Amino acid sequence: MLNYSNPITEEKSYSGLQMREVKPIMKLILRGKKREFLSAVGKSLNLILPAEANTFTKSDKLTALWLSPDEWMIFSNEASHIGSNDYQIENLLNKSICKTNLGAVTDVTDQFVLINLKGDKIYDLFETGSPFNFNDFRKKKASVTQTILAKIDVIIQNETQNDVNLFVKRSFSQHLFSWMNDTASRL
Amino acid sequence: MFLIHCPYCGEREQSEFKAGGEAHIVRPKQPTELSDDQWAEYLFMRKNIKGVQFERWVHTHGCRKWFNMVRDTSNDEIKAIYKMGEKPPTKYK
Amino acid sequence: MTNNLRVKSSKFIDETYKISFKFNNKTYYGYKGDTLASALLANNIHLVGRSFKYHRPRGIMTAGSEEPNAIVQLHKNTSRTEPNVRATEVEIYEGLEASSQNCWPSVNFDLGGINNFLSPVLPAGFYYKTFMWPASFWGKYEYFIRKSAGLGKSPTEPDPDIYEHKYIHCDVLVIGAGISGIIAAKTSAKNGFKTLLIDEKPHLGGSTIYQNSDHFKINNQISSSWLEKEINEIKKIDNLKIKTRTSVAAFHGYNFLLARENLTDHLPLHQRDEKVRHRLLKIRTKKVICATGSLERPLVFNNNDRPGILLSSAIEKYSNLFGVACGQKNVLFTNNDSAYETAISLFQKGINIEAIIDNRENVDSKLVKEIEKNNIKIYKGYTVVNTFGYKRINKISIMQLSKDGQKVVGSKISIDCDCLGMSGGWTPAVHLFTQSGGKLKFRDEDQVFIPDTYPSDQISIGSCNGEFTLDEILSSISKKLKDFLNIKKTEYENLEIQSHFNKTKRNIWLLPSDKIIGKTKPFVDYQNDATAKDIKLALREGFRSIEHVKRYTTTGMGTDQGKLGNMHALGIISETAGSRMGELGTTTFRPPYTPLTFGTIVGRNVGEYFDVSRKTPIHDWHVENKAKFENVGQWKRAWFYPKENEGMHEAVQRESKAARDSAGILDASTLGKIDIQGTDASEFLNRVYTNAWSKLAIGKCRYGLMLNEDGMVYDDGVTTRLDENHYIMTTTTGGAATVLSKLEDYLQTEWPELDVYLTSVTDHYATISVCGPNSKKIISKVIPNLDLSDEKFPHMSFKNTKIDKVTCRVMRISFTGEQSYEINIQANYGKSVWDKCMQAGKEFNITPYGTETMHLLRAEKGFIIVGQDTDATMTPIDLQMDWIVSKKKYDFIGKRSLYRSDTIRDDRKQLIGLVTENPKEVLEEGAQIVLDANKSPVEMLGHVTSSYYSPNLKKSIALGVVKGGKNMMGQKLIIPMENKQINVTVTDPVFLDKENKRLNA
Repeated sequence: MLNYSNPITEEKSYSGLQMREVKPIMKLILRGKKREFLSAVGKSLNLILPAEANTFTKSDKLTALWLSPDEWMIFSNEASHIGSNDYQIENLLNKSICKTNLGAVTDVTDQFVLINLKGDKIYDLFETGSPFNFNDFRKKKASVTQTILAKIDVIIQNETQNDVNLFVKRSFSQHLFSWMNDTASRL
Repeated sequence: MFLIHCPYCGEREQSEFKAGGEAHIVRPKQPTELSDDQWAEYLFMRKNIKGVQFERWVHTHGCRKWFNMVRDTSNDEIKAIYKMGEKPPTKYK
Repeated sequence: MTNNLRVKSSKFIDETYKISFKFNNKTYYGYKGDTLASALLANNIHLVGRSFKYHRPRGIMTAGSEEPNAIVQLHKNTSRTEPNVRATEVEIYEGLEASSQNCWPSVNFDLGGINNFLSPVLPAGFYYKTFMWPASFWGKYEYFIRKSAGLGKSPTEPDPDIYEHKYIHCDVLVIGAGISGIIAAKTSAKNGFKTLLIDEKPHLGGSTIYQNSDHFKINNQISSSWLEKEINEIKKIDNLKIKTRTSVAAFHGYNFLLARENLTDHLPLHQRDEKVRHRLLKIRTKKVICATGSLERPLVFNNNDRPGILLSSAIEKYSNLFGVACGQKNVLFTNNDSAYETAISLFQKGINIEAIIDNRENVDSKLVKEIEKNNIKIYKGYTVVNTFGYKRINKISIMQLSKDGQKVVGSKISIDCDCLGMSGGWTPAVHLFTQSGGKLKFRDEDQVFIPDTYPSDQISIGSCNGEFTLDEILSSISKKLKDFLNIKKTEYENLEIQSHFNKTKRNIWLLPSDKIIGKTKPFVDYQNDATAKDIKLALREGFRSIEHVKRYTTTGMGTDQGKLGNMHALGIISETAGSRMGELGTTTFRPPYTPLTFGTIVGRNVGEYFDVSRKTPIHDWHVENKAKFENVGQWKRAWFYPKENEGMHEAVQRESKAARDSAGILDASTLGKIDIQGTDASEFLNRVYTNAWSKLAIGKCRYGLMLNEDGMVYDDGVTTRLDENHYIMTTTTGGAATVLSKLEDYLQTEWPELDVYLTSVTDHYATISVCGPNSKKIISKVIPNLDLSDEKFPHMSFKNTKIDKVTCRVMRISFTGEQSYEINIQANYGKSVWDKCMQAGKEFNITPYGTETMHLLRAEKGFIIVGQDTDATMTPIDLQMDWIVSKKKYDFIGKRSLYRSDTIRDDRKQLIGLVTENPKEVLEEGAQIVLDANKSPVEMLGHVTSSYYSPNLKKSIALGVVKGGKNMMGQKLIIPMENKQINVTVTDPVFLDKENKRLNA
């Protein structure tokens, strides 16, 4: 069997902040503009893609993040098992979306690393390296944004003020995680 | 550093965006039928106005969507922002 | 401890907490709460530095950030030492070490002081005029000028401190925590605005907080007591954040401000470890309230710069706030009522006042009367004409002013003193306001510039807006805040105010002396030694613009940026030139307001965090196997893998040979990968690549060249058709992001009708390329169930397959000219597959190779690297790649530009191969190529773009661009080098295997 080497192996803990990579998490980018696309996705996943900017929706199994008017990321809420990358959901969507020319489905499972942050100092950390205004964002239910953190593109998903998911492209993830640890050590 | 109201994501810092030059320059549909001069006009000639200018911007570090901006280059005031394909507001023409 | 100048205790000074510090290697004591300046003054030390040009002895002049003279070198050690620190802002701590600057061997005996006696021959522009000729002497002059240039010493070792940045978003930012700022912040926060209050000092309250006079009362309480209660209240408000020791450096458009929060500079060194020293705050706020106060003006008279001459308000602050008397025989010199406030403070503390010299003839305000009542001599209508004492003032002489104030009349009177306080009225601190783009207007009645039009949502309140008296400020502040914050009422509507300040002032920019101006030294800019006569000289020599006079005389160009003297410079120019002050304008106030250290500006963007680094999924393997890395964009790429004693050349030769002789393996994960889907995907590719795509069969790969609209090569790579409407495009490593954004640009703005979606998948895949004659055998061991026969899996095709249970894609494409297979697998399995390939290749001596070998191998095949062999001036035709430009396609990006009059020229630089006469001689990349090196001037034909020693061909090979090179096959050319000329011959750029036999070998 092939070995699985995810980029962030350590869980880090500071006062008011814990950080760890959550894996393996299936992640797909869905693209489409038509109304039929939205309803086909809804039917296939039993999950309505968020139409409102900067928000996310959630079902038992999946979360869907708004990324742009024709782009969403969906990811599995529970870690899948290591050693296989054949995703039922991807196959399902390929049939209902790609084959019907309604839109596009792209596997980005390892394109993005999911770092989960917990604690009351998450946003103090973000404010050290991100120009985004988190004042309202952190208090809002189901908010999500794409922005810059420490010069790196990130997606930030606010489950609650004290429980946040951060998505970063894999090749940047070790650098970002190192920066986050450096900053967290002084919060 | 401007604050730019992305028509899709809302108000964001300028550092999330990139400027893309003058707006409303349409790529000729039939380039092969243009003279060198006509093609050069499309390819190279750009305005550089002190005052109200129509510009293209893209939300690079956000939704990656392009949009148009009306900006007064003398004081950096952003007068209007509108989506690609929408008509420019006439009052600044 | 000679603490004789410490007068009555002050509540801002903790006399139970004694602190020792060193100044110029001598130990002194002060108390917690002291600044370096106040502690020195308490020890009766005024002389702290020497001026820049004349090396005149200079003392502490102010009590704030506007200080021009008392700038010191802080810390002894070579990593923390810092020049140009204002002693008036340094809070003392145990162990502090400071020393004077710009003096040698010591501040008391400075050899440079000779410049003072040479000053008649060192006028404004001296350096410009003197060192102009003979021009050839500049090298010699420069040595001496450099030696005497600059103030203080830079650290020579890396800064041990940590600096950080922080973004802050708020509704209202209040700058300055004087009485106006406190009222504004409290009103704003209590009305629900998320408010930030910033002040550069360690304590709140501005100058009102140490005001003890009965003459200034609010609701029948002394103003400082009233303010203290307000301060105690604001500290409890939730949505109000207060930051002291924080100075706003810059006020940009859109209410974006930068401020430096000073966190550890007041702590002893051993308490600073691991703490952030400065934090640069990047503040974005909806509204700004400037309450930045005002700066007292000095007076410009002969020898107005001696140690012991201070601003009158500074003397008051030292006495009231620090409990320090600046002298025992004090004289005050003024043109307005402010000095009388100082006099009353000193009197209350029992500090002796010898006399007050007042420019005004008729003054009878309450403050003046109180001084007269106490039998302090006031000389009304007088001016100081000279001062005496080299290292400390000891005497002044005064004379009566003529009616028009332009001359002095009568006889001279001498007065002994050891301290002279001067007050020329007040200048609103409008620096930040103008930085933001605000326009000023000039108020003639008291000769001040005040804010006129606001460029953003901001107001100026208090003395920075030209409201100098307590009643002026408090009677208008409520309405101003209501209008600005759009609120109904404030708690400051009906304050009962008692303020006995009379506003009359007699403003004379340059006070007359009994001597002619040429014989006097009336300083305007203390730090740079610019005097009124320098300004007059500049005007005589024809300078008119204030910006030019500034640069010629260096007025306002010191580390203090002329906070004190700029107004006098303007005044003297306008008087001399006969122009009106308001029309003359001001010099530009540029950020930062007070100097920032480089550390603050860069924050954590140092060392490891200087730039972002991207790593491939196989990175750790490269590190373990001792690869040398090179930066490609932000990527860390394995460059070569030296064995034992190998240098780069040996390693690259070995790797290159192995890849062609048996097998090589390359980590190609950094290549950009874009997933393209949609019913118009083929049409889209037709429009963005030069060649045709519609007929590419599913399962096949094709090389494509992408142009800019100007016809120049922009990027290249292999694109694979995965399905009817599904492609995957590879781009160059460096071009990935720009290619994607360019493609998105065309899709969104030019061709929105196309049904195409682009998604970056660069990071999703690990890409492992195995090449060489044994590559097929190795891949068949790694993926045994895959049919690798040339019929089933030919060159330029791909297969979906599985390694264990993980799906992956194998492409048969080649950048080396060898048979090669590229495995693309989900990134987290990449390292494992790499290990498997290494294991399977062991028996074939599989050799990992880096980017350098990759470049060498492709050069043997004449494959270009975009960005190395091209430079945005090369068309495909110039590259001799006509074969890839479709003649049939009606249009693609850049097509029309390929037959512009300029792009069809025959003599454009064209890509060719070069071989050297001596096969061992390797050309330098970038070297010029000429036909005749003896002709003058030499005609440059082109340059070498890629050059290597080929271990497979056993000779030196190179690619280059040469004007008209296409038609020069066999031509002999010359590469002129520093010590030799190298003979080369133009060849075809393909050096190895022209027939492509190796692809299927």
